[in-house]
Amino acid sequence: MHATFSPEELAFRDEVRVFLRDNFDEQLAARIHNPKTFKTATIEWQKKRYDKGWVAPGWPVEHGGCGWTDTQKYIFDSALAEVGAPDVPPFGLKMVGPVIYTFGNDEQKQRFLPGILTGDTWWCQGYSEPGAGSDLAGLQTRAERDGDDYIINGTKIWTTYAQYADWIFALVRTDNSGKPQQGISFLLIDMRTPGITVSPIIAIDGEHHLNEVSFDNVRVPVANRIGEENQGWTYAKALLSHERTALSGIAYCKQVLSKVRRFAAEENDDGSRLLDDPVFQARMADIEMELMALEYTELRVLATVAQGGAPGMESSLLKLKGTELQQAAQSLQFDVAGLYGSVLPTEHEVGHAFGDRSRREYMYGRACTIYGGSNEVQKNIIAKFGLGL
Amino acid sequence: MDFSLSDEQQLLKDSVDKYMLERYSSEQRRGYMNAEAGFSTAVWSDFAELGWLTVPLPEALGGYGGSVVDTSLLMEAFGRAAVVEPYLGTVLLGAQLLSGGNNATLQARYLEEILSGQCQAAFAYLERRSRHQLTAIDSRAERQGEGFVLNGSKSLVLNGMAADVILVTAWLEDALALFAVPADSAGLSREAFQLMDGQAVANLRFDQLTLATDSLVCEPADSLALIQRVIDEATIAVAAQGLGAMETLLKATVEYSNTRKQFGQPIGKFQALQHRMVDMYTATQQCRSLLVRALCSHSAGEPQAAMDIAALKSMVGKLGRSVAEEAVQLHGGMGVTEELSVGDYLKRLMVIDSLFGDSAWQRRRFAELRYGDVA
Repeated sequence: MHATFSPEELAFRDEVRVFLRDNFDEQLAARIHNPKTFKTATIEWQKKRYDKGWVAPGWPVEHGGCGWTDTQKYIFDSALAEVGAPDVPPFGLKMVGPVIYTFGNDEQKQRFLPGILTGDTWWCQGYSEPGAGSDLAGLQTRAERDGDDYIINGTKIWTTYAQYADWIFALVRTDNSGKPQQGISFLLIDMRTPGITVSPIIAIDGEHHLNEVSFDNVRVPVANRIGEENQGWTYAKALLSHERTALSGIAYCKQVLSKVRRFAAEENDDGSRLLDDPVFQARMADIEMELMALEYTELRVLATVAQGGAPGMESSLLKLKGTELQQAAQSLQFDVAGLYGSVLPTEHEVGHAFGDRSRREYMYGRACTIYGGSNEVQKNIIAKFGLGL
Repeated sequence: MDFSLSDEQQLLKDSVDKYMLERYSSEQRRGYMNAEAGFSTAVWSDFAELGWLTVPLPEALGGYGGSVVDTSLLMEAFGRAAVVEPYLGTVLLGAQLLSGGNNATLQARYLEEILSGQCQAAFAYLERRSRHQLTAIDSRAERQGEGFVLNGSKSLVLNGMAADVILVTAWLEDALALFAVPADSAGLSREAFQLMDGQAVANLRFDQLTLATDSLVCEPADSLALIQRVIDEATIAVAAQGLGAMETLLKATVEYSNTRKQFGQPIGKFQALQHRMVDMYTATQQCRSLLVRALCSHSAGEPQAAMDIAALKSMVGKLGRSVAEEAVQLHGGMGVTEELSVGDYLKRLMVIDSLFGDSAWQRRRFAELRYGDVA
């Protein structure tokens, strides 16, 4: 039992650090963080990784992936966290990509995978509906066959970055006769198709991440269906456990905590550093110790998966605990900012750059225990499939 | 990176699991606990015969040459069965201190007998005012002729009553010295107590107790480092023991919830209870992860090992208690009776929290290591 790196792995870590030094800087980070430049800067960052061949750690080499070991993936993620570099958007690379190369046909693979890897195609996810949240199988967006097309009618909601998206992968109902999980199909839909309307939803952080996407007699070629008709739930389920594993946000949490720590070392409370306050230390230590544990929980899950096990309820555990910790870290970050955390964006210098970000992350962070299947639903999954209750 | 057990470790795990299954039911355990020594000498002989007493000792001293991974495997299994035999006091503390010292005479005198199960040992380091602080003691030794004379007292010494040799800390001039005190020394008096989890402990008094010249386990200047190292390893092992107890409680609680019926259905069907059991599961998994983390960093001699151990012990202390309290709650009225063993595990986990620094103390240690060095 050991967690030490081999000389080859250490050499790889050096290579990653050099790459990050040469390709990622504060300026790029700031542009990714600014909603106005978010999309172009994000694609720019993805292309840098693509050019290096490092865009898809989890994909098989034959489809353009890195073919890395789990240790290499861990080293890569840790190096990103060290410099505060975000991961690339998950919708293509972590969500629909694996479904396409696992369940799609050759033509679909050739058509869609390259754009996902280069970042030229921006994807969004059409799962939730106004009447189907955590109970996803209750979705009612209809797809009726008409020759070589489906005609789509219905509404998707909480669609992150649909305003930027070129394509949406969606679950639609092709049959209503059986159990809710049956009769669902998995479709890839061009967002420029007539009949699609994207309406913004402004979240409590004041930003536009979310959308409602409505479909009014939208024509989608049957050729854009992944796998068999009515089998979409099976494909989506495989994807959901990947999504949940990715939602643990351990690298993100580390970044937040390292910012908090830096800031708490500067911030004075009655002349003494906040970082030296025992109550502050105890609160931060509680979060850090849980995070140290979760980091190894993830590594243990990866090791199990590497030995051929499937990430089922373990991915629920990672999502559950990871999102709780994200919120705990965001709360701490907000509190460290003090009243500056409550200042709304302004053109003026308010004396504090930390506050705006801590407010936005806290506010939007309230969503993480809800999306990807609410944490209460994750608990139901663990209870049933993990504990046998 | 590799978290799997080696073939030898798997064999060790299988053998201890098999033994506990056959020889350590909760009824058998209660019998052992009520024996005069507070544990079963027959079980102890079995431990010796199975080679478990030799596990952490180096081969040069007749040991198996095992690592913290091996001792944690054993202790985790002991935790699952709530074992009362003094493996911690005799092997992980007593024998490990002797073996880590440089006194070959003491090693020759005691280790072979300890490893064969003929000799019991203990480590007396706490005093009334120490709480968890190794150096907050008043016992003192003075040089007298070729030897020493020892005065003072020690509290709540694990296995202190059965021990044939007791490792005792005392000030010698300005250094914290570590002495091996034979239990039949004149000037030693012992009072026996029992902890609520079944472990036998003793309070000791040293009254003008004379010690031979070869009683020092190591140079006084080295003893604090030796003690810290042995306690660090014992802390990992005790946390593993706690984890074993947590897993037993989780399993028992799930089984009970699937069989106990109220309102016409198994209580495990109620979502409110399911979610509490998921929290128990999550706590257990997080502690398992910290154990793996500490085992890896400690085995590799990495500088962050001290922080990993503090985090592990703090979390097992806190979450172990909370898992046990939840287990009692979910067993309902039966959970608060002696009829079930749920309470035995609660008591064991409470004691584990108090050993070697409780959850709050270990969190402070973690915070000192993590935030203390910031300029």
